[in-house]
Amino acid sequence: MGHNHHIDIKQEKFEFTSKSKMISIVLLAVGLILSVIGVIQIKNHDTSSSHKHQTEVTTANTAEHASATEEHGKSWTLRFWANLLINSYYFLLFGIGGLFFVALNYIANAGWATMIKRIAEAMSSYIPIGFIILMITLIFGGKELYHWIHYEHLGLKEGMEGYDKILDGKSGFLNTKFLFFGVPFIFFIWYIFRTLLRRLSIKEDEQGGLTFFNKSVKLSAGFMVLFLFSFSIFAWIVMMSIDAHWYSTIYSVYNWGILFVTSITIISFFILYLKSKGYMELVSSEILHDLGKFMFAFCIFWAYIWVAQFLLIWYANIHEEIVYYNIRLHGYFRPLFFINLFINFFIPFLILMTKNAKRNPKTLLLAGTCILVGHWLDLYIMVMPGTMGESSGIGLLEIGMPIAFAGLFIYIVKNSLSKANLYPEKHPYIVESATYDVGV
Amino acid sequence: MFCFSKSIDKRNLIYGVFDDENKLINTVETVREKGIEIFDCFTPFPVHHLDTAMGISRSKLSVAAFICGATGFGLGLLLQFYMMVFDWPMNIGGKPTSFRMLPSMVPVVFECTILCTAFGLAILFFIRNKMGHGVVPDILDLRQTDDKLLIAFDSDKLTKYNIEELNTILKEKGALEINKYSGKYAVKNK
Repeated sequence: MGHNHHIDIKQEKFEFTSKSKMISIVLLAVGLILSVIGVIQIKNHDTSSSHKHQTEVTTANTAEHASATEEHGKSWTLRFWANLLINSYYFLLFGIGGLFFVALNYIANAGWATMIKRIAEAMSSYIPIGFIILMITLIFGGKELYHWIHYEHLGLKEGMEGYDKILDGKSGFLNTKFLFFGVPFIFFIWYIFRTLLRRLSIKEDEQGGLTFFNKSVKLSAGFMVLFLFSFSIFAWIVMMSIDAHWYSTIYSVYNWGILFVTSITIISFFILYLKSKGYMELVSSEILHDLGKFMFAFCIFWAYIWVAQFLLIWYANIHEEIVYYNIRLHGYFRPLFFINLFINFFIPFLILMTKNAKRNPKTLLLAGTCILVGHWLDLYIMVMPGTMGESSGIGLLEIGMPIAFAGLFIYIVKNSLSKANLYPEKHPYIVESATYDVGV
Repeated sequence: MFCFSKSIDKRNLIYGVFDDENKLINTVETVREKGIEIFDCFTPFPVHHLDTAMGISRSKLSVAAFICGATGFGLGLLLQFYMMVFDWPMNIGGKPTSFRMLPSMVPVVFECTILCTAFGLAILFFIRNKMGHGVVPDILDLRQTDDKLLIAFDSDKLTKYNIEELNTILKEKGALEINKYSGKYAVKNK
């Protein structure tokens, strides 16, 4: 169709130099050091305040004293686990998002993103490691993070003191067996699809032909169906069950919105990085323009889902639902709640509105940074009120841990990028992608 | 595509007929290099890169969309504020009747924005493309609505080259035929 440019796709291969390896390892190390300092700070603060408490309130009755020290004693480990949960979940979303993006383009028969397919594929290589970190968090920190696990261990029967009808009713889904076997099973499914799609893509590079493409389309369609259910269940059990009494039917869509907008941002960041290093000359600003459109559109989508979830609960004002927003709208989380809305919707919306902004690397970086920081904050607001409550804070631990995870993630993605050609040159849509024109 | 005054009536138009969009774009590029002014191109389907080859500046569609959307946004807010705060405040579920009821206005304002943008752009589309009811369409040659692509020149504005020279250029570029617009195919008002 149209004006046929005859383009020779000159194959490139990303070289993972020792310098860039060092940078990601340094990021990881700096993040770890900051986290350790942060943990020590929190621990010292806790012990000193409880010590102060001890000396000051000598005449207080023992029961009150015991409860106060207990609350302080649990907070540093809980805060550590909550942070680990936020970051392992957040970075895992990028990995799943990469896989989702590849599958989406196959079933939509979309050719424009063929040139950047390898970046999305490389992102999905984070899934196994991300899974291990998440499972460590769930197994060792689960008892502190999820109060339904604590309740399950009590083993209360109907009529006993402390019996909770809602938690008992949900125990068919919210139980440790499902958490420790169901979640790995979900990952097993994703990992299989990821491995098969990657294998087909590599084989296509060697042999060519349409068979690999057709197989990938079928696989992707299967993945999409399974992804719909598995991701919903995954979001419910890992994130929503923190507030086990509360539920929202749109919650998994909300999480998917975070997944998609952040993954698109990560993909465009990797393109900008590779272009700055002299790779991917053929990826034109047309493709960046489309990624910018996706970022813009899914900022709006996220805000739409956010409003849909908030508005019904706020308007109906039923007490079993409103508790979720009550803690977020008052006290410590109130400023963060509004910052979340601004940084994830209004700022990127206004920055990315014009055509030139979507094509300009600087504005794209600015809006993308807003989105990435914003959605970390979004997850922070999802996890912290139900675990730490009013005693949560943003300190060195909160800053250090994402840096460490970023170092790990960048290392894994770059390592995977260096193992295959940057362009899937025998993909049937490669020429369409190379000569892609947005129009208007 | 162009300004409203650029109608094909009362002009001495000559046009080349092509059967391939690549040949057309090639011709447009060569002709513009030689400094000949093109009146317009008529194609039965959208041709990629033709607008850039003809040097048409970017459409102001997005600006129009923004203005329509902002109007809708303002009207929606005005509607809700006027009704629920000033004219007839209603107590629904104990929600405040002041600016603090802003979250409950979001759906109406959102829909008003979309409504105004969609209708505004649809109306603008019809005006801009001269597709109103009873308007005579610009048809140089009936085949332009089927499978042929036309490039038209205003022969009064040919300064550097005469018609014969233009004919040879077009023939070289693969034009099937070069005709003069006679008004034969124009759809007349009943």
